[in-house]
Amino acid sequence: MNIQTNSGPSPRSIDRIRTATSSTFEEQVLNAEGPVVAEFMSHGCSHCRALEPVLQQAAKTMRPAETIFRVNVPVEQELATRYDIDGTPTLVMFLGGQEVGRVEGPSPTLSTLLVAVTQPFER
Amino acid sequence: MTPKTEAERASPILLFNDECGVCHLVAKWVAKMAATPSSAAKFIERPIGDDPAELRSLNESLDIWDAYETIHLLMPDGSMKTGGEACAEVLRRLPRTQWLARSLSIDIWGLRPFQELLNFGYLVLSDVRPAFGCESCGTPPVWLGPIVWARTLKSNSGAA
Repeated sequence: MNIQTNSGPSPRSIDRIRTATSSTFEEQVLNAEGPVVAEFMSHGCSHCRALEPVLQQAAKTMRPAETIFRVNVPVEQELATRYDIDGTPTLVMFLGGQEVGRVEGPSPTLSTLLVAVTQPFER
Repeated sequence: MTPKTEAERASPILLFNDECGVCHLVAKWVAKMAATPSSAAKFIERPIGDDPAELRSLNESLDIWDAYETIHLLMPDGSMKTGGEACAEVLRRLPRTQWLARSLSIDIWGLRPFQELLNFGYLVLSDVRPAFGCESCGTPPVWLGPIVWARTLKSNSGAA
């Protein structure tokens, strides 16, 4: 993973990414109308920390129909097993309840991230 | 959300990453050093966990990402010490390391050279600690790399 310099998330920053849990995953992610990105992450993972501000920025620039959700892997291990998550961060893209793509440990730059999360929906 | 217990209100809380081998060892060492019968030093060693809201209940300005990034010592008066300053405070409170902590307070023309050295040492250790084993990302320690590559190659060749 190519980690570029950034100071990581700020405690005062607005969290634009909602958390999906095993009880809300179906409703929030699988039954969603538009494209959904689920970030399987862990707060202790330094790669997730590096990606966090970029993901927040992406959430800000994405269209309202597109949504990013966070899945906390240490808490939601059943979801991580179901979606075969080997490491964090892993972004899984869903459309109409189906997985249409995934990217593991994306480079934490906005341009790379936007390409990674939008490309699967354009096929 | 779990409210602070009476003990948590009276003793400093040392937050540590339970998935990091180095952090785990350090927390165990602090607990052992503080456990002498004559010692007045009391710490609560607490894994950071996965619930941002629960952490904020300990201190409103405590951010879970920051807690995982650097060592945090939550003081009973509501203040927080981080990084090298947190290490120094821990050393100051442990009976067997108070002599070392005194050296950290030595002030030469407005500079605390030994504290600066500790701050730098902590930064370096903080950066290299994943190499000694950290399960946070689900990735194995660097030194296990060749074994993991060998396993991956073997399973790939088996699948082909």
